[in-house]
Amino acid sequence: MHRTLKIAEREYLETVRTKTFIFGILMAPIIVVAIIFFTGRMVKEKEGPRPPVKAAMTDLSGELAEEIKAAFEAYNKSHPQRQIDLQQVESDQAGLEQAAAEQKEKLRNRKLDVYFVVDKEVISGEGKVHFYMCGTKAATFDAPFTIENLLNNAVVNRRCKLRDLSPQLLAELRRRVPTEHIEVGLAGDKEQVQSQHRKVAQMMVPFFFMYLMFLGIFLAGQHMLTSIIEEKSSRVVEVLLSAVTPFELMAGKIAGLVGIGLTVISLWAVAAYGTARWKGLSVEVGAELMVYFVVYYILGFAFFSAIMAGIGSVCNTLKETQSLMMPISLIFVLPMISWFNLANHPDGTYARILSFVPPLTPMVMMLRLSASSHVWVVEVIASIVVLAAAVVGVMWCAAKVFRTGILMYGKRPAMREVLRWLKQS
Amino acid sequence: MDAVLLEQVCKSFGEVRAVDGLSVRVPAASIYGFLGPNGAGKTTTIRMIMNIIRPDSGRIAIFGDGANTGDRDRIGYMPEERGLYRKMTVSKVLGYFGAIKGMSKGRIAEKAPQWLERVGLGGWAGKKVEDLSRGMHQKLQFAVTVVNEPDLLVLDEPFSGLDPVNLDLLKEIILEMRDEGRTVIFSTHVMHEAERLCDFILLINKGRAVLDGGLDEIRSRQKGHAVSIEAEGDTGFIAALPMVAGVKREGRRLEIALSEGGDTQELLKALVGRVRIRAFEMKVPSLHEIFVKLVGADNAQDP
Repeated sequence: MHRTLKIAEREYLETVRTKTFIFGILMAPIIVVAIIFFTGRMVKEKEGPRPPVKAAMTDLSGELAEEIKAAFEAYNKSHPQRQIDLQQVESDQAGLEQAAAEQKEKLRNRKLDVYFVVDKEVISGEGKVHFYMCGTKAATFDAPFTIENLLNNAVVNRRCKLRDLSPQLLAELRRRVPTEHIEVGLAGDKEQVQSQHRKVAQMMVPFFFMYLMFLGIFLAGQHMLTSIIEEKSSRVVEVLLSAVTPFELMAGKIAGLVGIGLTVISLWAVAAYGTARWKGLSVEVGAELMVYFVVYYILGFAFFSAIMAGIGSVCNTLKETQSLMMPISLIFVLPMISWFNLANHPDGTYARILSFVPPLTPMVMMLRLSASSHVWVVEVIASIVVLAAAVVGVMWCAAKVFRTGILMYGKRPAMREVLRWLKQS
Repeated sequence: MDAVLLEQVCKSFGEVRAVDGLSVRVPAASIYGFLGPNGAGKTTTIRMIMNIIRPDSGRIAIFGDGANTGDRDRIGYMPEERGLYRKMTVSKVLGYFGAIKGMSKGRIAEKAPQWLERVGLGGWAGKKVEDLSRGMHQKLQFAVTVVNEPDLLVLDEPFSGLDPVNLDLLKEIILEMRDEGRTVIFSTHVMHEAERLCDFILLINKGRAVLDGGLDEIRSRQKGHAVSIEAEGDTGFIAALPMVAGVKREGRRLEIALSEGGDTQELLKALVGRVRIRAFEMKVPSLHEIFVKLVGADNAQDP
């Protein structure tokens, strides 16, 4: 025990001092902040001034042109930075083909962004509006949607006028019902009006927890791999094994790196929480979730790092480990790509099944626990028991592979050879 | 009590039988040399003594403990492949290995600087291991091995890569430790080192003990029936003497092989009066000669 703690202590202190560790601990938040910053900038840019969209229209109905022009004018007045220049191209059904050909040529020469033709029977609901564009540019990407809305308004206005309804009355009828979203919170006194931002933030919490779990396990696992490869290639391991058993060595390393992982995760969590508070977002997380997180993290990391220890012991260089790492990394992709589905159906069959696949249990369970309050306690306990059993099993195997592999240099042993080690008592 | 006891120990790697029924008794407070050509099974034997690998069959006892879970803290081990944490400082490495061998903080603080001083690395305590030269690295490795002042010292090829000054330093420390009642086992294929240091030797070839015992006993047992003389006068008659099997001339010296039952004193009597004798020497075989004779010249790797 004493030796295991000594090994853990060294592993922790020496890892904390490495450049990759400091780089890794800073990089993740920097990337997140950078993404938020640039998306913010891009949204602002999108709302900033842009050159007017050039649109042309042919009205075959003969009665909508005025209404449409009025709608565009009103829009241009209320959106000074997002003008749409509308030109009318006069044509009847017979001359349409020629007029349209002319406009299409303009589209191709980039003299025009959008050309649309309003069919004759649009008001009765039988005709269509045909949009013509040439390629999709980011700048005019949303123009058709805006124009569609304006056209709809114009058509509805026209229909009302035909039924002798005044536009004022119409505006009154169309007024939206104001809404308010209230989050009741976990305690009664925390009831508060929910902003849109907060809703998104609350929705992201499960993902955040899962991602934190993933990064924590994966990064610390990488340290495990490099640490073992380093000890193996520098041949320190034989001196170590003369003083400690392979199991003590492995356990010490895992303990030290669990410490590393928890340190990193706490720093990130504090940083994220601090940023959220600073930005005025209060996200509620139950205290029991923290306890679950620590339990799942320790078990999940023990499982993953035991596999890393096995892999590290049979390889001589980091490069050699890559082919063995591939399938393991792929398993972790599964919850990452389906997180939205999992968060929306935290009690679904898919989520339940993934909860009992040992390497994924911590990630999926954190996602479910933070997304739903209906996860059965029995299920939580069962998943912890299954994971713990898997940890014991994988540690037992890893210790055997580790014991033999760590002293082997040269060619990487074949899978069959490794299986033989496992069978040996 | 025997410090180390091996009984019929076997170990195979796949098809290769690395150690084949080896039995050795290493008495306490002695220096025991494991000799043999490369690939003879020395390192495998040493690793089994250290419980780094387990024997397929046979029994190993350390300090009389048959289960071989014996107190690892009492053993110092220097493997053939040297290695230390390159990024750590010299004093930290020494402290760390002391700590995992169960030394208290106070004892580390006392012993570590002493040993650094002893191996001549006193001024390097704060330097990183990667800044050390090869020779210094070697000496630090030795300090790591002995820092907890173990009762049993197991050194795998301790002399390779050392300059003569450091070689003498190492030998001096080894002899000192023996005199303090500690046991030293080391492997080497450099015969004259073993000759000067060992109380006992074990000669291994292809996983089997070829020779085992006290150095003096082995020498007398392996005594070649030969005499080397230097004489003035006509020495042509010597070859015809009854106790002489053969004569070989090497410059001014004559190497005389005696026949079965031939006595050196009889030879001396036969020579006196007929030639003027300047030197008369009974040949004691060197370890190197024994080694070559037993293992075969094609197997010997080192002069």
